[in-house]
Amino acid sequence: MSWAKRLDPLWPLASIASFAEVGSRAGWWEAYLFPAPSMVVACLWEDRAEFGGAFAETLFAASLGWGIALAAGTLLALTLSLSDRVERAFRPYAVFFQTVPVVAIAPLLVIWFGFGRPTVVAAAAIVSVFPVLAAGFAGLRSASAALTDYFRLRRAGRLATLFKLRIPSAVPQLLTGARIAAGLAVIGAVVGEFVGGGGLGGVVDAATAQQRVDKVFAAVLLSTLLGFGLVSIVDAARERLLSRWLRS
Amino acid sequence: MIRFALGIAMALGIVGGAEAASKDAKAPVEKGAASPLAPVKLALNWKPEAEFGGFYEAERAGHYAKAGFKVEILPGGVGTPVVQMIAAGQTDFGIVSASEIVLARSRGADVVGVFSVYQDSPHAILVHESRGFKSLADVFRSEGTLAIEMGSPMALHMEKKYAPVKVKRVPYAGGISHFLRDATHSQQGFVTSESLLAAQQGAKVKSFLVKDSGYNPYLVLVAVKGELWRKEPEKVKAFLRATREGWKAFNAAPAPANAIMRKLNPTIDEKTFAESAVVQRPFVENEFTKAKGLGAMTRERWAELIAQLKDLGSLKVSDQVKPEECFTNEAL
Repeated sequence: MSWAKRLDPLWPLASIASFAEVGSRAGWWEAYLFPAPSMVVACLWEDRAEFGGAFAETLFAASLGWGIALAAGTLLALTLSLSDRVERAFRPYAVFFQTVPVVAIAPLLVIWFGFGRPTVVAAAAIVSVFPVLAAGFAGLRSASAALTDYFRLRRAGRLATLFKLRIPSAVPQLLTGARIAAGLAVIGAVVGEFVGGGGLGGVVDAATAQQRVDKVFAAVLLSTLLGFGLVSIVDAARERLLSRWLRS
Repeated sequence: MIRFALGIAMALGIVGGAEAASKDAKAPVEKGAASPLAPVKLALNWKPEAEFGGFYEAERAGHYAKAGFKVEILPGGVGTPVVQMIAAGQTDFGIVSASEIVLARSRGADVVGVFSVYQDSPHAILVHESRGFKSLADVFRSEGTLAIEMGSPMALHMEKKYAPVKVKRVPYAGGISHFLRDATHSQQGFVTSESLLAAQQGAKVKSFLVKDSGYNPYLVLVAVKGELWRKEPEKVKAFLRATREGWKAFNAAPAPANAIMRKLNPTIDEKTFAESAVVQRPFVENEFTKAKGLGAMTRERWAELIAQLKDLGSLKVSDQVKPEECFTNEAL
């Protein structure tokens, strides 16, 4: 993609931010209900030390939770897909558990894991593991029928089929799962921080108590950037892995 | 997350606006009344508990109806943005704390306190007796966890006063379940509520009043939008007269209103409801209210709070919030 094309997504952002800035300054709505973007930027700068620390904390917890989800989700999908029967039995639950509202179970996580980072990492891992698992299941079944027949004709064993056919075919779907999981891990971490303390979630919590809407928005902005960063990692990996895959 | 989502939704005026519209359309009309009662909303910042007894009593005993109102009491929870709801006109009356009014005014929201249920703050830090703490300073300077509303002026005040702080501060999500489970855990609460509940459930609990640390803002404060007070002072006055009757009656005989609140908030047992009403009485009635009436406030207390908020950095030194703008006794 050319640089000009890469910059296209900035147009909507610039338009909306300008509208919000003008509307806020002209008094179309009260700044304490919806702040001007310039207020949010000023707040980010003023409290940069606090935001920097909180961002690093959330980054660490979300990444760790995401990593756990990737490893656990992939492993589970692999293990369960070794037997058709086991897979049939567990597959619906992988989809079912995707709908668990982490907000509802967050207070329980504090009871199980205690205040602080373990709860935050757990919340991030729990919400992000099921998309990986579901994508893994789907991916492991996505090998083309022709190739599957070919493997059968050559009397390939179960493990050989798994490693040489099913896993390679699953990579695109697994990457999609990882991409969804990346965004969810950040949401999970922030929710975990609401109950467990610390990070950007903690900043939002305290800013709400102080009626600092600008600070709430600043923290939200940072957490979306964090999610965007993790998603970009997957996109970069996809470009590398899949282009190589297609060449071979 | 709920708090956060609600905050954003409220900020955008979605939730309250839509709700208000649908409820207004179905506003009940009293049968047989000479003139239909005017529907009025009172937003609470917590679940039905003793601190709201007078409001439920005023509705139950018909004081509000006599004044011409059909009051819809909306219970709240952790982080219900009542002060924003008032400022955005989504509720006529709301229960807030004095510090919320000062902060809201400094950000340009026109919200005015008109009736303070509590003359003294019943906020306390609950600790397990087994820790052997003698004072708030001990709580803050010892190991363990303390669940407290982070960033609130109350928390900032004590963190500053009792520095260097050793206790690990963790988010306060309401309730006492953590406290009951962990002997090294302390938490904020009302002596009129959480302290009693914890004792009721078998904990050996000791409570240190936050007001003894020098932070004693008006709490459970009825507030209105400044515009409502200026344009319809008679409406506000009539509501508060009925509210005052409700509180007098509740202080004298809390049982009937307690029964109503218990149905709405079954997590609190009958005995605790009864005890709460007794324990909170000296926080509601004192020598000052005998002279000036229930709900009255003083300029000095507001000025002291504003100075404290500036000292804590919650309020910028340049913020021009005048004590006399924050409240009025004229509505009483």
